[in-house]
Amino acid sequence: MITAITIVLFVLFVGFQVLYIFIPLFCVKSPVKPSKRSEEAGITVLVPAYNEQNIILNCLQGILHLDYKNCETIFINDGSTDHTLELLDQSLTLKAVHRLPAYKLSYNEVNAVYQSERYPSIFVIDKHNGGKSDALNTGTDYAKHELVITLDADSVLDPNALTEINEAFLDEKVLAAGGMVQITQGFRGDFKRPTPVFSIPWLIRYQILQYLTNFYLHKTTQARLRSITVIAGAFGAFRKYALFEAEGYRKTVGEDMDITLRIQRLIKKRYRGHKLLFIPTAVCYTECPSNFKSLFSQRFRWQKGFIDCIFNFRKSFFRNLGFSVSTYLLLDSLILGTINAFPSIVIPIFLIFNKSYLFVVTLLLITILLAYQSIAAMIISTRYGVKYSRWDYVKIALFIPFEIVSYRLLGILFVTIGTILYFKDKEGWHSSERIGVKYQTFSEDINLPQEKIV
Amino acid sequence: MKRITFNLGFTIIFTLTFFLLINTFSNVLVQALPTEEAPKPKPFLPGESLHISSCQKWSSHIRDFKVKDGEEAKQITILLYHRIIDDSAIKDIHYTKEGELYPTIVLKSEFKKQMQYLKDQGYTTLTNEELKLFIQNRHKIPKKSIVITFDDGFKDNYEEAYPILKKHEFTALNFVIASYITKNTMEYKEGEVQYFSASDIKNSCDVFEFQSHTYNLHKRTKEGVAFLVDRDQQQIKEDLKTSIEVIRPVRPTFAYPYGEYDKEARNALKQLNIGMAFTSEFKDTGPNISMLEIPRKPVYPTDTIEDFKKKIK
Repeated sequence: MITAITIVLFVLFVGFQVLYIFIPLFCVKSPVKPSKRSEEAGITVLVPAYNEQNIILNCLQGILHLDYKNCETIFINDGSTDHTLELLDQSLTLKAVHRLPAYKLSYNEVNAVYQSERYPSIFVIDKHNGGKSDALNTGTDYAKHELVITLDADSVLDPNALTEINEAFLDEKVLAAGGMVQITQGFRGDFKRPTPVFSIPWLIRYQILQYLTNFYLHKTTQARLRSITVIAGAFGAFRKYALFEAEGYRKTVGEDMDITLRIQRLIKKRYRGHKLLFIPTAVCYTECPSNFKSLFSQRFRWQKGFIDCIFNFRKSFFRNLGFSVSTYLLLDSLILGTINAFPSIVIPIFLIFNKSYLFVVTLLLITILLAYQSIAAMIISTRYGVKYSRWDYVKIALFIPFEIVSYRLLGILFVTIGTILYFKDKEGWHSSERIGVKYQTFSEDINLPQEKIV
Repeated sequence: MKRITFNLGFTIIFTLTFFLLINTFSNVLVQALPTEEAPKPKPFLPGESLHISSCQKWSSHIRDFKVKDGEEAKQITILLYHRIIDDSAIKDIHYTKEGELYPTIVLKSEFKKQMQYLKDQGYTTLTNEELKLFIQNRHKIPKKSIVITFDDGFKDNYEEAYPILKKHEFTALNFVIASYITKNTMEYKEGEVQYFSASDIKNSCDVFEFQSHTYNLHKRTKEGVAFLVDRDQQQIKEDLKTSIEVIRPVRPTFAYPYGEYDKEARNALKQLNIGMAFTSEFKDTGPNISMLEIPRKPVYPTDTIEDFKKKIK
């Protein structure tokens, strides 16, 4: 019986991995041409910020360099206790303005709304602390435009990002979309012509391979199968009415997955035939954890958020959520991702003592399969213009098999401990520490008045 | 166009890699598969035959041992084995409630030692025909003569015992329950209860002399009475006749299941011209004993090599 279950799980696992390789391989055209420019629809960019003084200006630089006219940006200062607001004031020269929200969502009290005198399309909302979801609800309620972008304060938008989003949302059936999140530590030089590099700490190499695989392969596949379950919080795009009808963000560790599932529920209930997209050409650069401690706390948070969502939507599967979303979530994410992690720890020990070669053979097969997947991720990356130097490819080739049998196994820890932590302490969550080192720059940083206040 | 070629190339390499890998390790992988759909054993029906007489001809040849007067054997031992199981395949099911191995089991390692001892001591294994002449006091055999017999026809006799016997150039009598022989060859699973297949028999008929252990009477009634005692003479006769048809030995010989029999059973043997029958009475064998009550000494799992030496002295 146990063998039968193991084999079924194994076959499912292999099945999903093969899909992740071949759907993108055959669907992504090479090279991907930049979209032609249509009329600009209005876009509101929301940046929730809580104690982000180390990096908020990087994010601001990205926004100032956006190659898109018809947009406004709203920073939501979620009751920061550091100098986030002062920094913004210095750089933007803020003045209080009167602005009315749509009053469609509820959130903590707003102290004031400011507009920048230097850049009139940039606003800052100062409010009482209520968490990321509360800040996003505030921003959505105050947004002027029909398209809303949510951006993390530690992320920098690519100058073309909004153009690409705009093109994708020309299709009325698109309710929401996720962009490509790249790791800023993996690039050097100008944001306008970023050069990917691989001579970087191994912990970051691991995360880069993971992001390239997760976005270029997994998200492309999920979008094809209409089963996107997470629009990454770092960079997502939504139609405002969808956010309103979904009743905004819920206060949880995994608010990004939660809102995605709420929108999937809308699609099932009210917007048949509408869809969620992954837009690989809309790029943002985000800083990933650079030490084990912050990586662990980030991943535990993700896993807690995931389990929380599964609990929250447990009665909705298949009834209120579409078939492919439910299947994907339960099979790939829950069973293969979480439940499987527990036997993954026990089975090898069992097999080793059972002196069977089966374990070794299975491990070999999985390693090669996953290596193929990493290779496919690199191939798809080149189609989107992420091209490494030859020497870097040698490093990547050596790193791939090593990563699968070493760093990759950390995933089991993340899942196991994250799940346990969820049941032990449902509320607590720690933000990972941001260092705020600039790995990439704009060739001409826009000069912002700055005194040393940090 | 270039992309399509590339994609196809990638797909082909991917497929080939896994085809090769899975092909290389198919044995390991198949073993892991649950074998619910294992084929059912197909028995030999009454009237059907194994057709092994040509490869059993060797058993009717009488060797001249050139034994000088006074050096011939007076008493010999006939050993009785049932199952030979590899030590690593022993599981809980092989133990009695008292925590000992079932007396019908002998560990492969022990069997190896025993056969090695026989070889080292220069023992000769007699055929059924030679044994018969010895009991009839018509043929001289060496002092170090022995007869090896197996009862029931377990598949492990073929998988475990046969290679060892063959290596030492020994022969043995194998009393098979004819209805348990399978026409199709089942995959060997160490330690499990499985019986000879037709091909196992054909592959080992140069070492084993196959004889009848009934067609389907190796059973007991609810009250614990052996079928050979319980059933009437006609039924026994029919059953034995069927078993002989399946096996067609050169000279039909018989071993009583559980070593139990009564007068009716013996009469049935006589009517079928079966002139020899083995019991499991723990005794040595000498000339002029009753041909229908040939004693045998079972080898037990608890026997040490010293016990074994005593047993055959």
